Amino acid sequence: MASKANKPELIVNGRRLDGRDFNQLRPIKIEANVLKNATGSAYLEWGNNKVLAAVYGPVEAQPKHMADPSKAIIKCRYSMAPFSSLSEHNRSGPNRRATEISKVTKEVFEKVLMLNEFPGSQINIFIEILQSDGGTRAAGITAASVALASSGLHMKDLVYAVSVGKIGEHLVLDLDMIEDNYSDSDMPMAISPRNGEILLLQMDGEYTKEELEGAFKMAAEAGKEIGAVQRNALKRVYENVVSKYNGE
Amino acid sequence: MQEIVYPGDLIADTQIRAPNVYVENGKSYSMVLGFKDSSGSGIIPFEGGWVPKIEETVIGIISSERNNVYEVDLGSHHRALIIGGKYERFSFQIGDVVEATVKDIEDGRTIILSYPNALKEGTVISIKPSKIPRLIGKNNTMINQISQGTSSKISVGMNGMVWIRDGNVALATAAILRVEEEAHVPGLTGRIKEMVEKR
Repeated sequence: MASKANKPELIVNGRRLDGRDFNQLRPIKIEANVLKNATGSAYLEWGNNKVLAAVYGPVEAQPKHMADPSKAIIKCRYSMAPFSSLSEHNRSGPNRRATEISKVTKEVFEKVLMLNEFPGSQINIFIEILQSDGGTRAAGITAASVALASSGLHMKDLVYAVSVGKIGEHLVLDLDMIEDNYSDSDMPMAISPRNGEILLLQMDGEYTKEELEGAFKMAAEAGKEIGAVQRNALKRVYENVVSKYNGE
Repeated sequence: MQEIVYPGDLIADTQIRAPNVYVENGKSYSMVLGFKDSSGSGIIPFEGGWVPKIEETVIGIISSERNNVYEVDLGSHHRALIIGGKYERFSFQIGDVVEATVKDIEDGRTIILSYPNALKEGTVISIKPSKIPRLIGKNNTMINQISQGTSSKISVGMNGMVWIRDGNVALATAAILRVEEEAHVPGLTGRIKEMVEKR
């Protein structure tokens, strides 16, 4: 977190810096099946975040000693492009932060995918952040979920992720970069909307029990909106083909 | 157009056994993106990998040979073998295209093939395995139509490889790739018929 000394005023006249309400998401746009070579892929724009996610597999597990004879293994690579951010993450290649996010993303999809159908194989998930503005791990998981659905791999649910933070006494949804740096706390979470199961929860800062419950409610509300965008993206791929040939 | 079903959508409040449906806490949910099968309660997926089943026909390319055991590349993560015996000797070359039947699947990823049959000459194309049932059609209607319209010999492997020989190979390839792309658009049989009979 940035220093408290030069903390800007994050809430002005009951509104956030970018004019959003406390429980308002940034605009989200998803396009599915954008990469021809991948089994499944998705491109997502979430506010100023731009994320490309691709899924390859099942392929033969490499190295071979990592293969599990009872189920498929997942390899996940979260990476920020060297040009994705103004200052902080401008070093390309794996680093401590990217390794951590790759790990937690992998654990989200381990709960969702039906891995026992492809024993001895490997599923590769790639998340590339092209432009970052806070909340990229949530954006990455949301995009990867669409990519997985478009790949046709068997999965239990179309998961989404979103962050809920705290500025002063206010709970705020979907923090951007400035809010993320100066807020009192930040909690990204990934949720399975079918039963509300929480697949990822990381917390930076402090919450009281009531605030935590409020945050879960806020995330569940946001999930309906995110889920609708995800479904629309998947639907459009097939509708486009239908309209192309019906128009002939 | 039929209603699209997404992963995690509730299919029934009871336990049902159907393709691409899973049961949790007594309720049935979809596990793929697809649409509802009008003739059953299962889900027809838009995309998907190939899961081998016994007695399916597959097409592959011989990738290595050792002691009368041939390894076949099926275009998936599986390891497929043709095992010759004392009285059963094969003489395939590396790079030969073979059609064979799945005899057994060991530990989920090693496939034992039987009745191999070399497909001489011809062209092999690879399409998405999930589109193969559509390419074959009900009672082989679709594949027969393409085969007759282009006077080609066509052999279809459930793993997604299709072998074509003789006749108008270019037209047959175009028709097959069109089936792959438009598999879920209604009225496909008519459009393919028009396509292969026009020339």
